[in-house]
Amino acid sequence: MQPRDTLTDNIPSHFPDRTISFDEPRRFPLARRIAAVLAAWLVPGAGHLVLGRRGRGLLFFVTIVGAFVLGLSLHGHLYWPAVAEPASAFHFDLITVLWFFAEIGSGLCYLVSYALGLGTTPIPVAAASPTFEYGNTFMFLAGLLNYLVIHDAFDIAAGRKR
Amino acid sequence: MHVLMMSMYAAMAAVVLAAVDPKSDTTRQRVRHGLKIFGSFLGIGLLLSWLLFPVPW
Repeated sequence: MQPRDTLTDNIPSHFPDRTISFDEPRRFPLARRIAAVLAAWLVPGAGHLVLGRRGRGLLFFVTIVGAFVLGLSLHGHLYWPAVAEPASAFHFDLITVLWFFAEIGSGLCYLVSYALGLGTTPIPVAAASPTFEYGNTFMFLAGLLNYLVIHDAFDIAAGRKR
Repeated sequence: MHVLMMSMYAAMAAVVLAAVDPKSDTTRQRVRHGLKIFGSFLGIGLLLSWLLFPVPW
């Protein structure tokens, strides 16, 4: 009877520098890294789906899109950089630039809502609603959290974390 | 109304912040971290509102 081959029984232990553990973070190809970051910006959680992290991707999608939709339903406003009045050296009203930056982080949520005319009621009319500030806050939250999620997707794609 | 909104805000922020936390490796650690963030948001929010309540402006 032929003895068992100890080499083929446990190949990874003989070649530790040539084997990949699925528990270890791994660096994804450049095209997939770019696709993950773009997808993460456009659709919250999609970057994680591209990288195979389905559970986390779904969690981010539900939470961030939920925050954005809640903000819209509470009469939040979609901000766009407004020209400063009176004219200043910066040209734009800085606070609207910051609010726009916060909201555009939610990607297609912002762009599709804007295209559909949702949340574009003029501010004096929208601000008459008692929930206007709540709505804005949730929409800022959605965009800013998505920046964190984009960064997380990039870290996973670059092999910095699991 | 305000406490409900604050709680929802805290819950959403806690879910995402806990899920992206690089120091938590297991689901259990993430849940614990998320609960800490949620509690901190609510606790600090209530403390600030209590401290600022007498301020007239």
